[in-house]
Amino acid sequence: MAQTDIELVIIGCKKGDEGSFAQLVEIYGKRCFGYFYRLSGNRDLSEELLSELFVKLVEKIGTYRGGSFDGWIFTMASNIFHDHLRFKKRQTRLLDEHSKRVMAKSSGALKTDDGDADKLQKALGGLDSEVRELIMMRFYSQLSFKEIAEKRREPIGTTLSKVHRGLKRLRELME
Amino acid sequence: MENLEKENLRKLLAGLMDKAAAGQMLDDIEKGDEILAGFRAPEPNEQVLAEIKKNVAAALRQKRINAFKKQILVTAAAAAMILVSVLAIVRYSNQPGIPTRMIAASVWEGGDDADVTVLRDEIENIQSELWGGQFDDSGNTNIRVDDLENELIEINGDMWKG
Repeated sequence: MAQTDIELVIIGCKKGDEGSFAQLVEIYGKRCFGYFYRLSGNRDLSEELLSELFVKLVEKIGTYRGGSFDGWIFTMASNIFHDHLRFKKRQTRLLDEHSKRVMAKSSGALKTDDGDADKLQKALGGLDSEVRELIMMRFYSQLSFKEIAEKRREPIGTTLSKVHRGLKRLRELME
Repeated sequence: MENLEKENLRKLLAGLMDKAAAGQMLDDIEKGDEILAGFRAPEPNEQVLAEIKKNVAAALRQKRINAFKKQILVTAAAAAMILVSVLAIVRYSNQPGIPTRMIAASVWEGGDDADVTVLRDEIENIQSELWGGQFDDSGNTNIRVDDLENELIEINGDMWKG
């Protein structure tokens, strides 16, 4: 879709037009779902987070002040995913000591609830969570290294280095 | 992906490290990107997307209702403030011991400025309208309080502007 078309859709959304929001779901729904799925490994959860993202978008669209819309929407997606992780962490605290130990053992790995998870999904579980998110953010948001580094408020060399190491490790895990 | 191709990674890396290291890094990143592109994540089914659109439509309706409620509340609050002001004026205007002049005479003493004189006349005129029995006990008036208020605001503004 051309940039001007997306801009028109965004203008419609800002005016509260239902059709424009439906178009936005069509444009970004699959990519954002892919992002959530690759981070969570869970189809149901990804659907829930996707729905939450678009409902939140209704409230927040007025705060979009231009610039990369992809960057804006994926930052929101990332925040929603982190909110989910924080909620999960709070739930974990409520569990008994035994459960805590079990959760701690598996907290570093990406849990895949889908039985038919692909090879990539399993390999992603072997990456550090921050690097995994960085790689997925770059892949699905289509942002450049420069844009990602700016969003993360870190030097571009740091972002490059993290992505490089992550992708290299991913390749090793896939072999 | 489209934008990843657009980005001139080679140029970016060349500016950060030596040629050999940049070449190696570029190769690793490109191969990693190929892996990611080769394994497509599952897609949400159409039913889920339709459900999301419904949720969005419901959220939009709720947003409109909330905006309307907010507008009503603001209007009601403004109306209540005006009503309280009017009632206060009506109540205190009928009490004995309330000075007939709202502004002490000493404030005006010694002022020969023509503008001040005009403004003073206007204020006194409105003052006399307010105190001059144009309000009855029932609160019915034969002048519009809004107009009076507007006039006062205007005069006040003129005074500060000089």
